[in-house]
Amino acid sequence: MKRAWRWWRGILVAFALLGAVRLVLPLPFVIEVVIFSIYTMGCNFLLGRLGFISFGQPAYLAAGAYGTAFYLFYVGTNPYVGILAGIASGLAVAGLVGPLFVRLRSDYFALVNLALAVIIYYLMQKVLASITRGDNGLWFLANIASTPVLNLGKPREFFLFAFLVALGVWAFYKYLDDSIYGACCLATKINEDKLQFLGYSNYRVRLVAFLIANTTTALAGALYAVYLGFVSPEVTSPARAADPVVVTILGGAGTLYGPLVGAFAYTGMKDVISKLIGNWELFIGFLLVCIMLAGEKGIWGTLQPMLARLGRRKRETESTGGGAARA
Amino acid sequence: MMDVQLLTSGVIFGLSIGSIFFLMSIGLSLCFGLMRIISLDQLLYYSIGAYLTYSVSLATGSMWLGTLAGVAVAGAASFVVERVVFPRIYARELTFSMITSFGVLFGGIGVIKLFWGVVPRPVPVPTLAQVSILGTEVPVYRVIVIGIAAMVYAGIWLFLNRTIIGKAIRAGIESVEHVEGLGINVARLFTITFIIAGTLSGLAGGLHAPLIMVDPQMGLEVLAFVFMVVIIGGLGSIKGTLVSALIVGQVVSLGSLVYAPLAQMAPFAIMLLILLVKPTGLYGSPLLKR
Repeated sequence: MKRAWRWWRGILVAFALLGAVRLVLPLPFVIEVVIFSIYTMGCNFLLGRLGFISFGQPAYLAAGAYGTAFYLFYVGTNPYVGILAGIASGLAVAGLVGPLFVRLRSDYFALVNLALAVIIYYLMQKVLASITRGDNGLWFLANIASTPVLNLGKPREFFLFAFLVALGVWAFYKYLDDSIYGACCLATKINEDKLQFLGYSNYRVRLVAFLIANTTTALAGALYAVYLGFVSPEVTSPARAADPVVVTILGGAGTLYGPLVGAFAYTGMKDVISKLIGNWELFIGFLLVCIMLAGEKGIWGTLQPMLARLGRRKRETESTGGGAARA
Repeated sequence: MMDVQLLTSGVIFGLSIGSIFFLMSIGLSLCFGLMRIISLDQLLYYSIGAYLTYSVSLATGSMWLGTLAGVAVAGAASFVVERVVFPRIYARELTFSMITSFGVLFGGIGVIKLFWGVVPRPVPVPTLAQVSILGTEVPVYRVIVIGIAAMVYAGIWLFLNRTIIGKAIRAGIESVEHVEGLGINVARLFTITFIIAGTLSGLAGGLHAPLIMVDPQMGLEVLAFVFMVVIIGGLGSIKGTLVSALIVGQVVSLGSLVYAPLAQMAPFAIMLLILLVKPTGLYGSPLLKR
């Protein structure tokens, strides 16, 4: 029982804080933070656990968003099924390009993903304009039916849904982290030869990680689609390719709660800074360079070791009250 | 079938686009070849070259003067960035250089916005004359661009093969430690290469400016094409960059004659095909494993 508590403790604390934030800050802001952090989680997993940076996450976001959009616009009205459709299309896209992308060197991987994002942007905007309505986007807010338990059409209840989904996502990633597969992912980043000697296939580890990460991204896209009731090619525009990368680094690549912290800081800064100085790119570029040159740990990446050390010191003083010497 | 006139103009158009792609991408390729970094801020120097061309040509009325100014300022900017930001990047892994140079690119876009605002600006073409090649009327400017790119390639070849610095750079591309062991100042070599790369990117921007509108996001808009060119050609190989730039140029140009919507996506398909067969590009070396 104690072990279960300790496993869940971090996640419950983090989401309790998130819930507390909801009481203080406006609803649209908190929903944006929740969905954006799910979006970033995919990028964070790729960068922190595999060592791959992808400048093309908008591609998979669009896959999820458009999958949901097509379903809700053309086929049915149930938003839950719509979200499932979005996840499925994200999985399909990732499954299609994954086997090729994952074999590439880290820089080619980043570039190729960006090229994919640009291609999907162009596809949605011009080539498939007949079914995607091009820049006008697909509007389906009216289509979303009222569902029994939680009416996803209403923002308040949507927030509860997104909150629970995020909780599930974090529990899933924590489980992954603690599993053997999670150790394999880390190993494939640190030393792939040794992993091969242990009998694991680097390619397979990377491919599954790629699928998991980008399906998570597609889930975020599906959530965006249902929340906004509207999808346009702008969601995958190349100018937005920087968002998940910046937030990942800002929060702390490879940490579990980095995306939450990063998404919160990024969305907050965007609101505050945009009012003060109009020039958002200058600020974010400068911030990114500074973080990278200062050790690339990010906000949670620097806080977490400090908190861990504090916790350890407190436990030491509690257990060595008698004065037994510790090494 | 297409008539010869359309085909000829399509090929020449493709050559001129390919020339500009070459100039844009050679910086990225060079930096990777010698310094093992991905310098995404080359696209910033491209933008700077384009914007300076706009401003100076507006002030003086001469586009070529503007291009010269663009090249000079781009080179200067690349020197400053190299000295300030990059020394800490060289020793780190590839992804570090990618993220940091992306940050520089983004910040630079912000600086451009600060000085020039967000409205796209037009740059006048220096000469509207047309010349007759193989019976087709072709804009002289495009032929000039092809000529300049050819001269640049020849210049790079001469530089790398006939000068001491060039030979040192080629040696450095193979092994930096050996070059250091010879007593050559490798840090200075890196700076020189970076400045050359930035200057060429600025030249690309200056030459491209009359063909498109300059706007702050132009670096990001061509980012995907530059990537496709360097991936197809193979990072680090100059001949590879030239070959793949010409290929991509022809694909985009002739493709738009055949079926316009897919013309922009065709290079992507080609890139994927080539990556399936040769994961490091046509002329890329299988150097770093990760």
